Amino acid sequence: MIQFILMVNKQGQTRLSSYYNWLSMSSRVALESECIRRCLSRSELQCSFLEFRGYKITYRRYASLFFIVGTDGEEENELGMLEFIHTLVETLDKYFESVCELDIMFNLEKAHFILDEMVMNGMVVETNKANILRPILLLQREAGKDDSIFK
Amino acid sequence: MSIKLRDLIRSVRSCKTASEERSVISRESAMIRTAIREEQEQFRHRNVAKLLFMHMLGYATHFGQLECLKLIASPHFPEKRIGYLGLMLLLSEEADVLMLATNSLKNDLNHSNQFIVGLALCTIGNLATPDMSRDLATEVDKHLRSGSPYIRKKAALAMARCLTKCPDMVEDFVERIVSLLKDRSHGVLITAVQLMSCVCEIEPEVGKGSFVRLVPSLVRLLRNLLSMGYSPEHDVSGISDPFLQVHLLRLMTVLGEGNEEASEQMNDILAQVATNTETAKNAGNAILYECVQCIMTVESEEGLRVLAINILGRFLLNRDNNIRYVALNTLGKVVLQDSAAVQRHRNTIVDCLKDPDVSIRTRALDLIFKLVNLDNVEGLTAELLNYLVVCQSENKSDICTRTLGVVDKFSPNERWRVDTLITLLTIAGKDCDDRVLSASSTYIASSKDGVKAYAVHKLVKAMRDDDGTQEGLLIVAIWCIGEFGDMLLNPHTSENGVSYQALEPLNVISEVEGVTKQVTCTNAIRQRALTCFAKLTVRFAHCDAGVVQKLRVLVNKFKASINLELQIRACEYSNLIVEGGSGKGSLARMPVVDPKVAGKKSLRGSMSSGGIDAGAIANSSIPGGGGAVGGGQDVGGDLLDLLDLGGGTPAAAPAAAPTTNQSAIQTAQSTDADLLSDIFAAPMPTPSGAPTVVPPAMGGGGGGGDLLGDMFGGTPAPLAPVAQAPAPAAMPPQPPVVDMFAPQPVAPAGNGGTTANPTFTAFSKDNLTIEFETRKEDLSSQSCEVVATFKNSGSADMTGMNFQVAVPKYITMEMLPPSGTTVPCNGGGNVSQVVKVTNTQMGTKKLMMKLKISYTCAGAKVEEMATASGFPVGY
Repeated sequence: MIQFILMVNKQGQTRLSSYYNWLSMSSRVALESECIRRCLSRSELQCSFLEFRGYKITYRRYASLFFIVGTDGEEENELGMLEFIHTLVETLDKYFESVCELDIMFNLEKAHFILDEMVMNGMVVETNKANILRPILLLQREAGKDDSIFK
Repeated sequence: MSIKLRDLIRSVRSCKTASEERSVISRESAMIRTAIREEQEQFRHRNVAKLLFMHMLGYATHFGQLECLKLIASPHFPEKRIGYLGLMLLLSEEADVLMLATNSLKNDLNHSNQFIVGLALCTIGNLATPDMSRDLATEVDKHLRSGSPYIRKKAALAMARCLTKCPDMVEDFVERIVSLLKDRSHGVLITAVQLMSCVCEIEPEVGKGSFVRLVPSLVRLLRNLLSMGYSPEHDVSGISDPFLQVHLLRLMTVLGEGNEEASEQMNDILAQVATNTETAKNAGNAILYECVQCIMTVESEEGLRVLAINILGRFLLNRDNNIRYVALNTLGKVVLQDSAAVQRHRNTIVDCLKDPDVSIRTRALDLIFKLVNLDNVEGLTAELLNYLVVCQSENKSDICTRTLGVVDKFSPNERWRVDTLITLLTIAGKDCDDRVLSASSTYIASSKDGVKAYAVHKLVKAMRDDDGTQEGLLIVAIWCIGEFGDMLLNPHTSENGVSYQALEPLNVISEVEGVTKQVTCTNAIRQRALTCFAKLTVRFAHCDAGVVQKLRVLVNKFKASINLELQIRACEYSNLIVEGGSGKGSLARMPVVDPKVAGKKSLRGSMSSGGIDAGAIANSSIPGGGGAVGGGQDVGGDLLDLLDLGGGTPAAAPAAAPTTNQSAIQTAQSTDADLLSDIFAAPMPTPSGAPTVVPPAMGGGGGGGDLLGDMFGGTPAPLAPVAQAPAPAAMPPQPPVVDMFAPQPVAPAGNGGTTANPTFTAFSKDNLTIEFETRKEDLSSQSCEVVATFKNSGSADMTGMNFQVAVPKYITMEMLPPSGTTVPCNGGGNVSQVVKVTNTQMGTKKLMMKLKISYTCAGAKVEEMATASGFPVGY
């Protein structure tokens, strides 16, 4: 099961975090900073998996942003998780039209809505980009008038 | 005035320092709190959105929780959506406000708009508590039959959450889950398969029982995916829905494990997946990886297993590190079942140790430790030692310990074992833990004379080459020189052709002296060196007088040491090694210790006393002679260990056994006192219980040795050690060794710690007497222990003894289980029970108890009540 999903930039600033098991604020901050520290210290050639604090971390770097998924236990398919991260990024990319760090930062709630269409309680809901975005786009059109409050 | 979320993010971004950011956030959260207090409805959902942002940055947002609840009750969709998002991100499952959400969730589950239902399902899936799960499960179940795949897939995962929280509901819903597998939407299928895996995890019996008949359907689904051809909707780099394939395989793994029939049904499709999957892209490899795991877990055919291992072999040769990582990972899992097949890839695995990637190296290392067997131990251990040189220092200790395990198990011969351990110490002597040190010296001491000579020669050379930093190596080397120094005086040629020249006694001494003079020399090394010098006086006794004289000078030097421990020992030794002194016996070679016993002991020692410090050698390989020859601070530990071996006292005192070098006479005294009280409190340990550790050369030995010898000799009188202690005093002048034992006469009195505790009779009626003994660690502390002892003077046993205590409010208490429920008749044995009491108003109010006692005596049930108020003053 997925325990958490993080998007952290190269400076170690969290841009999005979603936990599927409750962690206290202090342990989240510690976990995030340790995660990114370890990811940053690795080169492109090294593998995308890490183990620490009982989590198995699968990460992938896209430009300046690290997409980090923490799973528990031995059962997870690491390569599958890597593929999932890629799907997530492709979906965001499709939605934001060549996504960048700032898109996610300024549209935090939208990124969360997309993520919620893909992951629920640490399990995968949907991996088809069109199926993920269809309700999101539909709702956005419908709620067009009220949307101004977000901005 | 409330600013927009966008502006808040912008102002946070423009902050130069962390403190600036904090001030922006605290200003904003003050605004939000004001808005919440003033019920500014129009800003509510913007404020929650801001809180989400602040929460992500790691700031407190608890004050916004109720706002989320208000939002989800709103009729407007955008507000509801943000509300639910806030709920999922800001609240924990434990939050009380979550209960309030149950009703809104129920309403939204019945809403006509599928997106609102979707939101509610998503929230249940992420957040449901056991109570909520029970309340809402039927509603969720209804949605499993919904017409929209969007709802069905979310309902499936919401159900997974509900069932995880309330496993007892599984049976009610299991049939509904089965029907989900007929769905056409891949989204529903993938969630359904995950739900089924989840059920198999929480209720394996029910889950596997119901789902195993679905294996043919799963196989059909997988076959359809494979033969589907190109479908743009599900295509991921040329493979149709790899995610679904992976999850199907995972479920098949669970169902096929230990089930011949199900595994048989899977065979064909697994072979098909394993051979036909395209491996150019990551997605294909993910499927292949899952397939291999499936094959290795289920009861698959032999041919298929070979195929799977070969796939892993191919993975190992892949240039992509990710693939190599999973290959190593999986090989690690299957190595125990299919050792031979994995062995074929041994060289590739060993090569992975040289990979620059630490994740790969760690995995390879784990695997290698599992691969070691009698045939390949020499080659693999050499690789491990090579790796030890380059690996990160934080891992060295662990590798040393595990290598020791390999050496313990698979050594082909003594010489190889000694060789390996010395090399290990040379490489990582400063990182390895005490177990490695004690095992090394034990193995050397227990090997044949030829090997011993080889070892000690090799150690001297290693010590000479070392720069003084490998503490472990130096400790073992110096100990061995002290023990077997005489062997250095002869040349030695080993079977493998390595030859060492004979050394001059003075050279040996100056080698050791050189080590002690280095700045990096620790006290642990100095202690060994001091003992080594003392022992060498006996080993080199036949050499010319100058040698022994030199050793005496060296020992005497330590008399002025700044370290108290060294100073004491130096004084003692200098008395033992005087001309015609009685040192000979006590400085003789240590008796050989059985490595197995030593290993067990040091393991326990490190558990009970939290590390044995550097004295491990003295502790585990020089038992018995502890007082005279070992690091003196371990005397306590040693004696206890011995007693334990003898089946005597439980290890009650290890906590008191001092483990630091700094432990001065005071602690030594207290240890002895503890020790004695323990010994006297318990039956004498039988000497036969510890045949390997009873020192044979005790006569006229040091005080410590005498003490031990007497104890094991079974002398019953408590004062015997005291009577014996002056024996060494025959030596002029009065040896300081005795000092250490001086407090002995006090010890039995100290033992009165148990008898001196205030005791009174709390209850006495019908042959039953209950005595209360009150114990207090510290007179000023509020808490104490009351030991209730039940005595039966009647002629019939009292059975089913139930003792209850009630106390006033200002007292808290905790009752431990009684030692028994039957009190034997005629005082033939007592039952006791400990009550821990804390009197919070000690000083103003006294300790009081109401007692209720019930038991059965001669068939009659007796119940008694009483008040115990006779507690002594100060309790």
